Amino acid sequence: MGKNILRCVGGIMVMLWLSGCVSAPQSDALLTHFSQRLGASPSVALSARIQLEQVPFFPQQDFQCGPAALATVLQASKVDIHPEALVAQVFVPARQGSLQIEMLAAARRYGRISQILAPDLEKLLEQVQAGKPVLVMQNLGLSWYPQWHYAVVVGFDLPRAEIVLRSGLVRDYRISLALFERTWQRAEHWAVVLLAPGELPSDEREDAYFQSVSAFAALANRDGRAIALAYEAGLQRWPTSTNLGMARANLWYAQGDYDSAVLAYEAIIARVPDYAAGHNNLAQTLLDLGRLDEAKKHAERAVLIGGSFSENFRITLDAIDSALGL
Amino acid sequence: MKMNSYLRKVVTTALLAAFSLVCIQMPAMADIVSTEQIATEQRNQIQRDAVRGFLDRADVQAQLEARGVDAADALQRVDSLTAGELASLSEQIDTLPAGEGALGFVIGLIVIFMLLDIAGVTDVFPAI
Repeated sequence: MGKNILRCVGGIMVMLWLSGCVSAPQSDALLTHFSQRLGASPSVALSARIQLEQVPFFPQQDFQCGPAALATVLQASKVDIHPEALVAQVFVPARQGSLQIEMLAAARRYGRISQILAPDLEKLLEQVQAGKPVLVMQNLGLSWYPQWHYAVVVGFDLPRAEIVLRSGLVRDYRISLALFERTWQRAEHWAVVLLAPGELPSDEREDAYFQSVSAFAALANRDGRAIALAYEAGLQRWPTSTNLGMARANLWYAQGDYDSAVLAYEAIIARVPDYAAGHNNLAQTLLDLGRLDEAKKHAERAVLIGGSFSENFRITLDAIDSALGL
Repeated sequence: MKMNSYLRKVVTTALLAAFSLVCIQMPAMADIVSTEQIATEQRNQIQRDAVRGFLDRADVQAQLEARGVDAADALQRVDSLTAGELASLSEQIDTLPAGEGALGFVIGLIVIFMLLDIAGVTDVFPAI
């Protein structure tokens, strides 16, 4: 009898220890927040319930959740593609799965900007509320016995503490927020939204947007108009962004529109007078326009300030000097 | 014989095409700082900030001191980490699960970077 009680207590201890290990801090905070705000004010940041009905569903075959989930978000972003067409691009038979980096690259190939979200559950749900299905990676197993899985978040129900996924063979797969968080956490909180060029993510991280767009732009044979749209949308949101401004100006330069490039570089260094790369690129463009004296002034300034790109600055100044016959 | 001259023609054309490509690409070597360079620089900066933020934490500093490493020294040397080392450290920090053991692992990594430096295996922290 006493042995049984001991065993029982031991079991409870193990359960408590286990549940301590697998806490879901973000879900807890979010739900507490939600229930408190619901009582206090009707204007909560997150709605109680969201369900993106129009997001398509592709029941996955075998281990091919990667192509299925990617096709789901691509179609939701108005790219007409089916999982079968994506298998060759993202599915690695030897691993019976798809690599995250390949998923991001494949979306770019279809003309979409793949943006990785911050590891924040509330931000993820905000994207869904803004109408964006979110591609997520989960580890359905344990950290030392992983079962990797891709799914798409298409809704949530905060009063019931549930999240809705397109997952595997189930169209509306409802699981508790806490369980989702644990599986997502074990996949390093990996979450991605796809943006059409000109579309902005509903979060405030300018650096993340710039990273996503520059990766999108780096793809060979990319249509210049699509890149320009993406930069310009970013500049509307963050008008003083040095990096986006430089990227836009560099694109004009690459397209041979030197006059627009000069104006853009000048605007950047008017705002940030010590930005060496701005001076350097302005100098190079002025050199191409044959305005050598002005070019030299800015090239010297860049060399003087120095920094990470000193090598570029030195080469620019040398080119200007040789054009001047020095 | 006919095949051979055909092959030669193909090879010559291919070579010519390759050379003309090289020629066409020369002007693109102009020394503007490219958007890729700016993006890479920003990525390094984000990772550097992550490592610095990590070393700024009181619990991390306590663990470093316990291993005989001056926290201020470690912080100062973040600047001399290479892009690769930054990437691996910041990735470890990003994916750090809660718990003492994991924290110890990353700190171990930092200490190893420093020890290898002293031993002359690597040159991450030239100031040591």
